[in-house]
Amino acid sequence: MIEKIKREWLTAPGANIMAGIVVALALIPEAIAFSIIAGVDPMVGLYASFLIAVIISIVGGRPAMISGATGAIALLVVPLVSEHGVEYLLAATILMGIIQIIFGVLKVGKLMKFIPNSVMIGFVNALAIMIFMAQVEHIFGISIDTYVYVIVTLLIVYGIPRFLKKIPAPLIALVVLTGVYIIFGSNVGTVGDLGNIERSLPSFFIPDVPFNMETLQIILPYSLSMAVVGLVESLLTAKIVDNATDTYSSKNRESRGQGIANLVTGFFGGMGGCAMIGQSVINVKSGATTRLSSLTAGVVLMFLIIVLGNWVVQIPMPILAGIMVMVSIGTFDWGSFRYMAKAPRTDAFVMLITVIIVLFTHNLAIGVIVGVLFSAIFFATKISKVDVHFEALEDRNVLRFEGQIFFASIDTMIDQIVFKRYGKAIQLDFSQAHLWDDSAVDAIDTIVRKFEEKGNTVYVSQLNADSRKIVKELSQLNEQYLT
Amino acid sequence: MYKAILLAADGSDNSFRAAEETLNFITEETEVTILNVINAEDSKDDVLHSGPAGSIMDKRKEKLSKIIDLYETNHIPYQVHFEHGTPNETVVNFANNGLYQAVVLGTRGLNGLQEMVLGSVSHKVAKRAEIPVMIVK
Repeated sequence: MIEKIKREWLTAPGANIMAGIVVALALIPEAIAFSIIAGVDPMVGLYASFLIAVIISIVGGRPAMISGATGAIALLVVPLVSEHGVEYLLAATILMGIIQIIFGVLKVGKLMKFIPNSVMIGFVNALAIMIFMAQVEHIFGISIDTYVYVIVTLLIVYGIPRFLKKIPAPLIALVVLTGVYIIFGSNVGTVGDLGNIERSLPSFFIPDVPFNMETLQIILPYSLSMAVVGLVESLLTAKIVDNATDTYSSKNRESRGQGIANLVTGFFGGMGGCAMIGQSVINVKSGATTRLSSLTAGVVLMFLIIVLGNWVVQIPMPILAGIMVMVSIGTFDWGSFRYMAKAPRTDAFVMLITVIIVLFTHNLAIGVIVGVLFSAIFFATKISKVDVHFEALEDRNVLRFEGQIFFASIDTMIDQIVFKRYGKAIQLDFSQAHLWDDSAVDAIDTIVRKFEEKGNTVYVSQLNADSRKIVKELSQLNEQYLT
Repeated sequence: MYKAILLAADGSDNSFRAAEETLNFITEETEVTILNVINAEDSKDDVLHSGPAGSIMDKRKEKLSKIIDLYETNHIPYQVHFEHGTPNETVVNFANNGLYQAVVLGTRGLNGLQEMVLGSVSHKVAKRAEIPVMIVK
């Protein structure tokens, strides 16, 4: 235990602190931009990124993963904030945390394996498209200066990494262009136009909402969506970090940790958040392996805001919009186009339907749920093919069943059987089939009864052990039918 | 003849052609080191587009299976290395700090878009490696 704690915190502390600093620098523009997407003061996102990063470093399940305020959660809460205000967002964040803790205790992390790749690809693509669309109002139709800032930002974030990798390019864009703005001035909006920066640490307070059923009715749907989306993105990110570092991590501990982090964050004036794919990749690439990197990222972020708060309000909005365009391009799965061409039709459909549902509902949670439902239906359809082969032998007729027999497959199975008087005994051969549920057993009973009604002798043969067991328990057929 | 060469391979068709090309100038005395660099940025792709079963390591080995088969059938001694890092830096490090006499790699890898943004691995290796570099088209 002590060994594990030491390893998860103290391995290569220098490299991990450096990586944490790099991530802190990359987090600042994102935390501010996500606050603006959600429609709240930048501090709400900055506090969230600070608190979540620090808390998750202690209670999370995946060392070296970065969590904070995210686009996925920010996009979800837009209507809640615009209709009811930030206090309801904080209350919803607390409830989100409680739901995630319950999910963690119930080991919902295991359910992640039921989310197929097609839904996951749809999830990241929908997220990317929505982050991009949220920038349109900050880019188009404002001023010529705005276009210039966006274009220069994009040139910097894509050009600089060719020569200089150590410092995150978005930060260079932010510092250089904000400097240009402060010195020369331009006709652009700034962060200060959209909210305030407080140069103080977050403090504990209870969100100012009435404690009644009405409030619960308002926040519960949001909290549920936030909890689901937060876990989906966090567990996807955990898998990516597992892959990038060749290590495994506890998904249930991560679910619980995310819950604790959001619960606490809500009480300290921060919006809900989750793990971040892009930032975690930056962290790992910068050499992070331990929890110390996540802790450093949070602490350095807060330190910089307290020191530099006066400049942060002067950041021109188009710089953040440009950085968000980069984030959305990085989030999009560019392998999707090949996937659309090569993957099975049903998988491509599930991916598309996930994206479309999200773009219509503005809710990633609904997209994931609909996507999973569709893929479950396709899967059930695919395996619900039962073939029945008829063979007339000298002494008997054989009906050989092939496939998985369960509630979804019994109709197609029975449709293939011609019920008439055959003259010879009928053997139902289940050597190539598996009976899964009581519907399957009912169907066998029905087949036997219908044949008998036509005056045939019927017996059931070659059931495998599992199938024989449920037939014994559930069937009305007695032993004389079974061989 | 070379005693030891380094083959940087990402599993793409180009890297397989590079492996085939090495057969023209190596013998059964030559040891080939197959280096596959695992880039954190590729992990998202790996996870989103991974097949249903099998461990991560199995999938990585599978990507190189064509190359491994090639050396197996030609009785060339080889070893496989998986390294985490940025592809061009890692290959250059290996090339300059090992006892290799040449480094061989394909002209472009799997990721066209990233290459447009970051420049190609082969170009950077050719510039920075201190041993002969062979880039196979």
